[in-house]
Order: sequence, then C-alpha cells, then structure tokens
Amino acid sequence: MAVTLDQSEARCVIRLDGEVNIASAAELKELLLQALASGREPRADLEGATELDVTALQLLWAAEREARGSGRGFTLAGRVPEEIAATARDAGLEKFPVGVDAK
Amino acid sequence: MSEEPTIDKFKQTFLEEAREILVELESALLALNDNRGDNELVGRAFRALHTIKGSGAMFGFDELAAFTHNLENAFDEVRNGRLHVTSELINLSLAALDQIKAMLDEAAGGGEADRTVSAEILVKVRQLTGKPEPRPAEAAPSPELAPAADAKGATRDWQIRFSPGADLLRTGTNPLLLLRELKQLGSLQIEASMAAVPPIPELDPERCYISWDMVLTTSAAREAISDVFIFVADSCELTIEPAIESTIEPKIELTTEPAIEMRIKPTIAPVSGPVSSAAVAEPQAPKAKYPSYGRRASDTPDNASSIRVPAAKLDQFVNLVGELVTVQARLFEIATRREDPEVGAVSEEIDRLTSALRESSISIRMLPIRATFERFRRLVHDLARDLHKEVELTIEGADTELDKSVIDQLNDPLMHLIRNSMDHGIEPPERRLAAAKRPSATIHLSARHSGASVLISVADDGGGINAAAVRERAIEKGLVASDAQLTEAEIFALILAPGFSTARQVTDVSGRGVGMDVVRRSVETLRGRIDIASKPGTGTTVTLRLPLTLAIIDGLLVRVGHAYFVLPLATTLECIELTRQDIEQANGKHVANVRGEIIPYIRLREYFNMPIEQLEREQIMVAETEDGRYGFVVDQVLGDHQTVIKNLGRFYRHVELVSGATILGNGTVALILDPHRLVRDALRTISLGTRSLGKHADVRAAPRPRAQGVAAPSVAAEKVAAQNAATQGVACS
Repeated sequence: MAVTLDQSEARCVIRLDGEVNIASAAELKELLLQALASGREPRADLEGATELDVTALQLLWAAEREARGSGRGFTLAGRVPEEIAATARDAGLEKFPVGVDAK
Repeated sequence: MSEEPTIDKFKQTFLEEAREILVELESALLALNDNRGDNELVGRAFRALHTIKGSGAMFGFDELAAFTHNLENAFDEVRNGRLHVTSELINLSLAALDQIKAMLDEAAGGGEADRTVSAEILVKVRQLTGKPEPRPAEAAPSPELAPAADAKGATRDWQIRFSPGADLLRTGTNPLLLLRELKQLGSLQIEASMAAVPPIPELDPERCYISWDMVLTTSAAREAISDVFIFVADSCELTIEPAIESTIEPKIELTTEPAIEMRIKPTIAPVSGPVSSAAVAEPQAPKAKYPSYGRRASDTPDNASSIRVPAAKLDQFVNLVGELVTVQARLFEIATRREDPEVGAVSEEIDRLTSALRESSISIRMLPIRATFERFRRLVHDLARDLHKEVELTIEGADTELDKSVIDQLNDPLMHLIRNSMDHGIEPPERRLAAAKRPSATIHLSARHSGASVLISVADDGGGINAAAVRERAIEKGLVASDAQLTEAEIFALILAPGFSTARQVTDVSGRGVGMDVVRRSVETLRGRIDIASKPGTGTTVTLRLPLTLAIIDGLLVRVGHAYFVLPLATTLECIELTRQDIEQANGKHVANVRGEIIPYIRLREYFNMPIEQLEREQIMVAETEDGRYGFVVDQVLGDHQTVIKNLGRFYRHVELVSGATILGNGTVALILDPHRLVRDALRTISLGTRSLGKHADVRAAPRPRAQGVAAPSVAAEKVAAQNAATQGVACS
C-alpha cells in the first residue's frame, strides 16, 4: 500500500511508500483527515517514498496548514529522500510542505 | 514497415485511432481551404499530424512517422507565418493524407502502399517549404516535440503563468512533467502558488489546485514554450509573455490568516491584488486566456463517457434481446392461458423489463448521420476541382439518428446522388453567371425525422432535370411507349430505371447509367422510397424516405386460413370490413368502394393458393404502395405487432414478396409481407395473363406497366377487372 496510517496510543504516523500519486490521492486524503482528527500530533514518514506528484504535495501542504491552524504540528518522521525534496523544489515549493520537527 | 500477419492489439488500437485522427485532419484541411487565414484550423491540422507522428513512432511505424514528419514541418512553417496556405498545400496535404491512409491499410494487412507516391509527395513538400534533404535520423519521436531553437542563440526571458483547470489531472496530465519539459528549454525560475488550495476536508484529491508563476530564460522560440502545453491548452489557463525585467522577487512566506493571502509576483506581471482564500475557488489570474488552438488534441469522444464496441458484438446483443422478446411473448401467452396469477404477475414484470431492454438496445444502435454526411465534404471538394466547378456543401440535421444498419447502406446511394448532381445538375460557373446565378453552387444534405421514418434529401441549385430530354431518352430505351402520357413525377421517376442516362457523354464521374440504379436498389433494400422534385433552371431535390431501423417492424398481424402474416403498419392506411354484400355489389370485380374511392384488392387466400372458403366477413387492409392504393383481403386482423424481423435465410432470399419472418407468442412463424412487391407482382402477372409466385426472369424484360411513385387507381382498377374477367380461378405455380 502506498499510504498507510500507523495509529496507536503513542504514535500517529502517515507512511508514504513507493510512488504516491493521483491513484492513491483519495486514500491519502482520508488518512490525513483521520490523522488530523486523532487528537495526536500527526507525523509524515516519507523515507520509503520514491515519487510524489502534485496531488500528494498539495494534500500534505493542506494537512500541514490544517494542523497548524488547530495548534498542532504536522512534522516529518525521519528524513525526506533527496528525490522527493527535489520534486518539491522543481514544483516551485520553496520548502517541503511538511516541516522538520523543531523539537 | 513489414508486419507480422497477426497485428498485436496495441497496434490495432493505434490504427483505429490514427484513422480517426485522419478524419479530423481531413476535416480541418477542407475547412482550411475555405478559411485560409484561420490559425485555429492550422493548429488543428498541425496537432493531428503531430499526434500521428508521435504515436506512429511509439508503435514502431517508423516509415509512417518519418513521412508524417515532413508534412508536420510544413504546417509548423505555416504556424510561424513563414508559409501561406495555398490550394497547392491543401491538395498536397490531402494527397499525403491518402498516402498515410494507404500506409495504415498496409499495416492492417491490406495491399501495399505505393512508395513512389510517398517520394513524390515528399519532394513537393520540400519544394514548398524550401527545406533541404532531411537527415536520415529524422524519425525520432518525443524529443523532437519542440521545433529547434532559434538559430540566433539569443536568449529572452518569458513570463509564464500556468494554472491548471479542474479537469487537468483527470485527462491524465502530470503538471510536474510539463514543468520538467519547460526546464529543458532553458533556465527556469519557478514558484508555486497555493492560494487556491482549499481546507483539506473540502479538497478534491483528484484536482490540481496549485498554479505556477515562472520566468524562463531561453533561446527557444515562443512556439517551443507553448508546445509544451499543446495538449492541455484547453484544460488550463496559460499566459506566455516576454518579461521586460527578468528578476523575480523572493517569495514572501504565505500566511494562513483566514482573511488575506498576498503574493509577490515578478514585477512585470499584472497585479492580481489581495486574494481571500475562503472565497476563491480558482486562482484570480489575469483572465486573458492564451489563444488556444481550439479543439482538444484528442478529438475522440470524451473517454469517460463512451466506449468502443465491435459491431459484431452489438449485433449479437441486439439479436439476443430480440430472441428474449419472442420467448417472453410465449411466456405471456402461457400465463394468460393458464390463468395463474403468480405466473401472470411475473410475466408482466418480465414484459416491462423486456420492453425497456428492447428500447435500450435499439437506441444503442442509433447513430447520428453526421459522420456519413461529413464524409462527403472531401468528395465534393475533389469533384469540384476535377470538374472545374465551384460547389459548396451544406449540411442540415446532422444530429438525426438512424440505425447503424441503415447508415451503413446509405453511403453508396448518397454518393451516387451527389456525383450525379455535381456532374449533370450543376452548371459550370460561366453558365451560372450567364443565368444570373451565383457562380458557386450549393449542394444541401439534410436529414430529419418524419413519423416513423427519416427523410434524407440531396438538393442542388443547379439546372434542374430536363423533363423533355428524360422522356425522349426513355422512349429511346424502350422504357415507355412514344405516345405515353406521363406526369412530371412519372418522368422524373424514369431516371431511376436501370441503364437510363441522358448523358450524351460518359464521363469518368458518371453517365454510365449505373448510379441511379444503385440508388434505387439500395433504397428498396432499405424498404424506403425515393421522391424526385425538380424545377428547370432552379435545381433538383432527391428525397429518400427510410425506416428508422431495419431490425424492427411495426406491423399488423393478420390471419389468412391457418397461416399468419404481418403487414407493415407504415404502409397500411386503414382496415375495413368486406362483407358479402360489398362483393355482390362489385359485380364480380375485385374492387371495393371506400368513401367514394375505388380500391382494387388482392385476395391473399387466392393469391397464396389456399383453399378457397366463402367467409361471411373478411377484412381488407388498405395499403399505400408505390403503385397506388390497394387492398389485401385477409380473414382476420389480430392487432398491432411490433416485432424483430428475422431473415428467412439463404434459401428463401429470392422470395421477393416476403421481407422476413417473425415468431409469435405461440411459437408459430408469421411471414412479413412486402405490400409493394405484392402489388407489383400482381400487376405483372395480370399484364402477362398468367400468375406465378417467385422468380420471373422473363417478366423483367416486359415493359413495366407503370413508373415508380405514381398512384392511379382507376387504371389499375381496370387491370384488376381485366384479370377478373380473364383469369377466374387460375392456378398458382
């Protein structure tokens, strides 16, 4: 599965694996909504992702805005693969939608 | 381009789609011929060639791709203003199109395409464009998408704003790939605008809300830039403008305050002003849309809402539905007979469903006649050129729908009618001018529904039919007696007789007297009628009246003896009772008096050689046939019967009086009678003084007593009366 949500007492992690594109966009939105509703601080794990397209980028961006708006953060769990970072840069995004955990 | 005997499925798809693109290309070329300055049409032509070339190369049709490439170049030159649209270019393009078609046919297993033709065309194209011999490796696909960069090498800055529309992603486009392509043209500064991204709960995951502002520094021509977006021009907003200043302000971090989002853009951009993120669905971009090339690159019907089905599968489906209808009728009959309420209820339910299913299957087979009509544009264009006449084709009612089976058979007759009109009807421009007409003639194709039929007409504003010449010619050919009195309609109808032609010279185009015969026969096969109207000096109109579908017939079920028959409802005028009294009053003649009109009738019992019974009451079905109003006497009329027609099969193909059969609810077979042929046959046998069913090769040689399309009951009545007197109780063969 390209997108999975790992939820438990302590964690709430959205994992993106392999190619994440329009085919899994609806699923990604669902999981992001769940994560945002969970009450915990959602994190994004992109270490296994090889490709993101505009649908994934905009969903992540929108989720991050939503999380920030309700006082939480939506941050990265782990590093962003260089390929993915490059995709975001090529797409004209100054920084990756999901930020690094400042803590 | 040697192919294995079995073409693999992808290539098959390419061939089909390439053929469709060729149709679009042809249409664009013909339209371009009349509107030489129309850049949208040039764009269409270019796009079509571009697509064929690209797909061709992708599927291994290298020769085709290389051939198309040259023509694509020529249209590129036109787009750039370096070449003008001329008749020569159009004709050359049409020739090239035919050659491409030939190559496609060859790839599909047809005959070999003539390579010398390709070479000739290429030479002429190069002459036109002034381009030197192409390099051998010219057939490379995608990397050549953008025309070569401006030779000067000077770079410019272009400000590009790209804002995808709601459907862009759904067409399969990946905007990031487009951006990547742009990057290949030079150095690209890019910023994404997230202004239109809605709150995540309202976000449509399959729609792109991001738009982009970019500055591209490149030596490529503007076309190269717009070509990147060539296939999505219709699903986005795109502006490409030279940038005066090439600096781009660093982007200010987007705040997510609910009220206002502001964005700093490159200085030259028109100011967009504050944007309220809540209110905006689309980016507030300057609304100046890039002049798009017009139609979408993929001119095939919207992929989401239609599906391509092999005709054979559809036929099979319709056939099965027909069978289902038949069996359902039997179920209904059994249910009624057994008076079982449970079974009856289910049977009714099935009846409703079957009707709906049948309606649905019929409507699936209905297609608009547009494609058939539009195909003739090429014919008119080419013929006009060959005959040195100026002719314009106008079309009306292209949306009118007919059954596929009917449409398939319309091509030939329409083609012959158009050729005829152009060759004989329409005068050369000088003659038209002399007659105070516009030098350019018009052929008008139209289609419309009329009751259960469709009327298709071919009208020209040419010189009309010379009735006197027709009559003379008919006399010459022995079709009518020299002293025959014919009405105008009858004279016109003579044109349809085989071998008839008033052309003094047989031209390459027509004159052999074969064309109109084909028309007549096609229309008969389609169970239709032809009407010809003409005014000397003004023009001629030929109207075909055809049934909407050949597969189903609305008929009246009748019983004669123990046999059942169906008479077409379309030709039946009324049904009246024939009593012993009427017969006695007619004094031995087979005629009936219907509100003052004398209607001769045929006793089907006699005609079909059934045991003759004297019934107290019989019914006459009065029908309007091509020879006039006649009646058919039957024992009993059982009611309306809409039914799927089944062919009788090969062995009975020659039985002309019967156009098919249908299976009734109780399992018996009812033959569907053709009233025109019945009457024709009766008149024929009357005039010969004999009677026979089936083929009569010798009878064909006899002069026909009457031309088509005329009603003259009194004369026919005489003949029937003569029959009665002379041939009482003649046996059938």
